Amino acid sequence: MRKPNPDMSALPATATEKSVNRRSFLRTSAVLTTGLAALAASLKPLMEMEDFPTAERFLQKYYKEMTPDDMAKVLKRISTEVEQQYGLRPHVRDYKPMDGVEFVYCLNLTRCIGCRKCVHACVAENNQSRTPEIQYIRVLKMPHGSLDIEKAEHNYDAEQVPEKGFFYMPVQCQQCKNPPCVKVCPVHATWQETDGITVIDYDWCIGCRYCEAACPYWARRFNFTKPAIPKERLNPEMSYLGNRPRRQGVMEKCHFCIQRTRQGKYPACLEVCPAGARKFGNVLDPNSEVSYILRTKRVFIQLKEEMGTSPRFFYYFDV
Amino acid sequence: MIQATKNYLRFLKRCGRIAFVGDWRYYTWMGALTVVCLLGLNAYCKQFAHGLITTGMSDEVSWGVYIANFTFLVGVAAAAVMMVIPVYIYNNEELHDLVIFGELLAVAAIIMCLMFVTVDLGRPDRFWHLIPGIGQFNFPASMLSWDVLVLNGYLVLNVHICGYLLYCRYQKKTPAKWFYVPFVFIAIVWAISIHTVTAFLYVGLGGRPFWNSSIVGPRFLASAFTAGPALIILAIQVVRRVTALTPKSHTVGPVAGQAPSTAAQRPANGSDFDLLTGLLPALKSVPAAVRHEILPSLNVLEVKAGDVLLRQGETDEHSFFVLTGRVVVERFESGRHRVTRSAGPGEQFGEVSALAGTPRMATAIAEEPTQVLRLPAEALRKLMKSPAMNKVVHARMSERLMLTDRALMTLRSIVQVSMLINVFLLVNEVFKEFYSGNLHSISAKYLFVGLHGHHALVPWIWTAIALNLIAMVLLVLPVSRSLKWLNLTCVLCIVGIWIEKGMGLVIPGFIPTPLGAIIEYTPSVNEALICFGIWAFGLLCYTLFLRMAVPILQGRLSSANDGWSDEQIAASFLGTPAKP
Repeated sequence: MRKPNPDMSALPATATEKSVNRRSFLRTSAVLTTGLAALAASLKPLMEMEDFPTAERFLQKYYKEMTPDDMAKVLKRISTEVEQQYGLRPHVRDYKPMDGVEFVYCLNLTRCIGCRKCVHACVAENNQSRTPEIQYIRVLKMPHGSLDIEKAEHNYDAEQVPEKGFFYMPVQCQQCKNPPCVKVCPVHATWQETDGITVIDYDWCIGCRYCEAACPYWARRFNFTKPAIPKERLNPEMSYLGNRPRRQGVMEKCHFCIQRTRQGKYPACLEVCPAGARKFGNVLDPNSEVSYILRTKRVFIQLKEEMGTSPRFFYYFDV
Repeated sequence: MIQATKNYLRFLKRCGRIAFVGDWRYYTWMGALTVVCLLGLNAYCKQFAHGLITTGMSDEVSWGVYIANFTFLVGVAAAAVMMVIPVYIYNNEELHDLVIFGELLAVAAIIMCLMFVTVDLGRPDRFWHLIPGIGQFNFPASMLSWDVLVLNGYLVLNVHICGYLLYCRYQKKTPAKWFYVPFVFIAIVWAISIHTVTAFLYVGLGGRPFWNSSIVGPRFLASAFTAGPALIILAIQVVRRVTALTPKSHTVGPVAGQAPSTAAQRPANGSDFDLLTGLLPALKSVPAAVRHEILPSLNVLEVKAGDVLLRQGETDEHSFFVLTGRVVVERFESGRHRVTRSAGPGEQFGEVSALAGTPRMATAIAEEPTQVLRLPAEALRKLMKSPAMNKVVHARMSERLMLTDRALMTLRSIVQVSMLINVFLLVNEVFKEFYSGNLHSISAKYLFVGLHGHHALVPWIWTAIALNLIAMVLLVLPVSRSLKWLNLTCVLCIVGIWIEKGMGLVIPGFIPTPLGAIIEYTPSVNEALICFGIWAFGLLCYTLFLRMAVPILQGRLSSANDGWSDEQIAASFLGTPAKP
């Protein structure tokens, strides 16, 4: 117990001390409150987030490390998520490559008329985002006599195709034997399957876009925001490595319609082509159409052959 | 062990407290940086929620200012550490005191680098996929995985080196060489590797002819060695400015004609020597015969606060040990006084000039009633014949903070040579691109003169070239020996290289696309805010590091003065009583 101080002159000093303490306490708490309020205000846009990753999705395993059980669970979850979002129960499968198959694409430049039907068939088949627009195939309008890509026109908008003096060259993922995109990916999120298709694990990609910088064919696309597909346009036949709806912030690209071709069907771009310019098949089968083309055509072109990428996509002419 | 941990925690706590002490300039600066940081954070939250569509990037130009800044800052981080080469390999004394500033800058730059790559990620929530062992690490195939390793490794190395050296200085212990010198040498090699790896990130892409050129690596190093030391020069200038004592706060200075103080003086006796031995155990190793021999030449000075013990510019042969009290050493240069050292009981001052016979580099003033032992250089040399004493005295010689004009001039010559090499390499690149005139030079054409009516980058690159050339001319001319012109030159270098290396290298690599489309890129406001936010955060970190490091290097913040109030450590304090 402190004795009351008889010396009254000591009081003002104590009072000043107290008021100093109170003032510094008030000042500290004012600074702290302002700081916290400012921090909270800065974080506010996070509330606008629709697609916050759940623990399950956050911890999802890498494709190649999943057991069949894991995969079954993931596919079920994807179905549920798609159903919640689009009101439609999809059929999601994980199609594996077939033995003894190596897919190859051949495209007849003499026949292609530049109608872009392949572009739109691809968008519909593969559940690509409509806004913003993502397309896997880019048709280049080229002046006669040159394969110089610098001369290509991308945004041609003619009343009628083909235009005189031009030929048309659709470019999509070339499914290289030596893919630069696979080499540069820091997390193995993209790789080449045994049937020659380079695929992406959309749930593993970190979205660094190094593959997009590395690709000499500008074949890769990034989901700069949440992809939007009208409900009625959703293709419910889906595959894990193929056309299931993607999320914001990941890469995608042409995968030779893995959900079709691994079941023995043709890719969507081929089926829709009105000019018969597109040929697809197993190059390991000597009787396939593509084997025949590669055997018999005198000249065929692998785009940017000097890059050493060795594409599985061959352009040829009827000569 | 427990005591060591406690000491370390105490060190961290005191460093943390000192970070919040400063004058109005400090609070304004930190407050402004915090506001910019929060604006950046707010912009990033928007980007996190809505995706990278909030940036100016597209599938055509898929990297923008984030990666441009990243590239620039890797260079700064690398160059900041490369300054240790003159110190550790050529024993350059002038730069010695700057090493810590360089390494702290490297730490801040790497923090910014890591933030810039993180904000560039589409799925930052999946960062753990990059952690070796837990995720899937594509090493060694992907250059990006190399970058993850070298950047994080570099951060750890520099945090270790700075942290250890500063802690030793705080504890007034001599750093154990084996615990940091090997890491310094690793850091030197590592510094080259971080920037080379970053160059390889671009060089390795065969599909982008603009980047796929072997000169990119050397150009990166040359431009880094220009911008890095230029940034350090500016940082040192700021440190020199803010650590300068205001005219009011120092009562005595090296004013011509002022007489040295007349102190109470008496010959030293055995008990003075014993007192010092208690404070400086290394003295025990001195043989008794030597003690007896030198004792007659020793004096004890008793001075009051504010008395001058030795004066900058004068020549005499005495060196000093503090017995009781505290002495502050301050240097007058370029019109300002700065504290270079604070010596307490058992510590020395005045020994460097005494041993070398050169004029005094600074003025020593008693901060409180003080007793010092004064000994002639000859006596100190005799004491230093004992290896333990020699080691202690030599180690303490470097315990000071002396940011001299000459050190800045050494940095200037580094910037000068690097800028000449940088411009030379740029000329090489431009010649190769334009003289051959093949199709691969199309990106360069876009960058320098524009392509098919698209020329967003043309004004930028010519600004950069103009700034670089002006800076080069200024650096070659003697005018940049004046510190004001040097500051201007450094700013020109930094801005010029930021544009040339960031916007001028990253963006044109994407234009035209591999399929020949020309889509231009302009950063969005949100994107720019994020960049400013990260820069502000980096500057905030660097300011905090300096705020803690400067008093430690000056000897003001040390375990010896644990009882001092923050204001006493922080303030410039002559004439004020030291102990509460």
